[in-house]
Amino acid sequence: MRTESAPQDLSVYVPEKVRRPGEIGFAVLGTLIGVLGYYFAMGMTSDSYSAPSVFPKIASAVITACGAASLAKAIKRAKPPANSGTLFQFLLPGDVLFMLAMLVVYCLALPKLHFILSSYAFMVVGMVWLHRGKKILQSLIISAGTLAVLVAVFRYVFLVILP
Amino acid sequence: MTQNLQYFLIPFMDWRIMLLLWGGVFAGIWVGAIPGLSGTMAVSLLISFTFSWEINDALAVMCGTFVGAVYGGAITAILLNIPGAPAAIATGMEGYPLAQKGEAGKAIGLCTTVSLFAGFVGVAALAAAAPIIARFALKFSPRDFFLLAVMGILLIGSIGGGDPIKGIMSGTVGILISMIGMDPSTGELRYTFGSLNLMAGISFVTAMIGLFGVSEALTQFRTSGAKSPKQNLTKVIPDWPTFKKYLPLAVRSSLLGVFIGALPGTGGDVAALLAYDQAKRTTRNPETPFGHGAYEGLVAPETANKGAIGGAFIPMLTLGIPGDAITAIIIGALFIHGLRPGPMLMIETPHLFWMIVSMLIIANVALFVLGLLSVRPFAKIIEIPKSIIMPIIIILSVIGTYAIQNSVVDVFYMTGFGVLGYFMRLYGYATGPMVLGLILGPMLDSNYRRTMQIAEDRLFPFVSGFFTSPLSFFLTASIVFMLFSQTKLYRKWRGIE
Repeated sequence: MRTESAPQDLSVYVPEKVRRPGEIGFAVLGTLIGVLGYYFAMGMTSDSYSAPSVFPKIASAVITACGAASLAKAIKRAKPPANSGTLFQFLLPGDVLFMLAMLVVYCLALPKLHFILSSYAFMVVGMVWLHRGKKILQSLIISAGTLAVLVAVFRYVFLVILP
Repeated sequence: MTQNLQYFLIPFMDWRIMLLLWGGVFAGIWVGAIPGLSGTMAVSLLISFTFSWEINDALAVMCGTFVGAVYGGAITAILLNIPGAPAAIATGMEGYPLAQKGEAGKAIGLCTTVSLFAGFVGVAALAAAAPIIARFALKFSPRDFFLLAVMGILLIGSIGGGDPIKGIMSGTVGILISMIGMDPSTGELRYTFGSLNLMAGISFVTAMIGLFGVSEALTQFRTSGAKSPKQNLTKVIPDWPTFKKYLPLAVRSSLLGVFIGALPGTGGDVAALLAYDQAKRTTRNPETPFGHGAYEGLVAPETANKGAIGGAFIPMLTLGIPGDAITAIIIGALFIHGLRPGPMLMIETPHLFWMIVSMLIIANVALFVLGLLSVRPFAKIIEIPKSIIMPIIIILSVIGTYAIQNSVVDVFYMTGFGVLGYFMRLYGYATGPMVLGLILGPMLDSNYRRTMQIAEDRLFPFVSGFFTSPLSFFLTASIVFMLFSQTKLYRKWRGIE
């Protein structure tokens, strides 16, 4: 499903009184990372103050404490408004979901189709999707031109090995 | 003296060296602007096809690329919020909001102008005080490097933005991720879970490309229909009053850059972040608040990382110890050409020292000219519709990540960090502190453990060392000051708020 409404720009963080959908879950996940980090650090050598486990343990403890504090803050905030849509719509609006899926497919296709073919397909499909199915010819030409420049510059000028 | 002057003037008279320097700067700007392609990589590639050249020609192209690449990192940071290099992370925090207001041209123009100034400060320090600074830099013990890393970690407050708890959490997760892999001092595996791919750890450049590049693209897809801001390109070069206004800050940050650059193992990235933090703490009433496009926040990191270039050459040319990764590669190039970098280099081959000084001056002038000439074409990038530019950014991110060690696994890591960064932005967790943690984590861990081992694993000698060594005491006092300067009491006293 594609969402046509323009979601909020998230490039700048603004503290809010109302919590965002899934904020509690994200804080729980953060806390869990800290707990698991500490748990696995317990399996490392810990016989002295200079043991390899010292920093992993300190870092994990700080993550756990910060995660718990973020969780407490998130719980205190007011619930998200009823019209804020589902959690899934908030996390992955249509364009993000599609491009993310495309990116995963692109990464999987890279070793098999190699750089030129997989990148061309990714760019064309991505541009056509973002143009809402219009400007197909423009997308085909821009993608081909961009790819030609990228390959010429990276492969032959900078001698970079492409996937 | 006259002999040294003659050596100094050689690059100015040799059209071939001049051409190679300008070409190197041009290529360096583009390499630096692309996330993942670093100056280190470009200079190491240059070794392979310059080993049969004359040493002067090889050094010219390497110096040019070095200077250009450090500058190039700022361009994508300002235009797209995707730093081309870790040294440009702080630049993006102020530059990107400016680009969103249509002031990308002015921002890049100011960066270019102050870069020239800072480059000259770095070269002047190299020419005038190299032996003194190098001897002082060598006095740094593991405890002092540990304190320097602690200073760096305190920057989380500056670059975190929003909720400080979330900033600390993001930074600490970065430190934890930096622990993944084989412990360099004992060989013990940490958080590898039996995976061979994780044994080498996760490159912070891969993480940076994911957290900044891919996550920025994913975030932009949320508003893919929105129009890109029109850029005002009428006045790109800053006028004299503007330059004069930022001059004191530029001097301070450049000198900080020279000093940090001269410390072995630290470079422009740490210098830029420290300078940004200092600017944020000490600037009274900035025209625009920090985080929303403060020009002070552009000047400080950009002058620090340019000053660090001259600084990095100081221990290399006087002691044979590299100041950063690129000078380490240049040392390799000198060996290939039959030279022995070390304390005798300046005595046996003084011409090399003075020629590098003049090459760096020419490279900085080339940077100024080429940088200003490319402001307009670069600024136009931001006006390209998101539906076209964002898929291209993802492709560039893939190229840059793959180039680090020719591994598709890194591309998967990059995607994972991109998704993580996207969700972090969604919930107000800044991604900058995580990259900072990834950069400083190994420095913190290794230097803490070395210090503790020197103290024979006893707490009292470990702690007392912070107060008995003058240098450590100075750094400890600086850390206490940094913490104090974050309090409301200090800010009120200084009239900052």
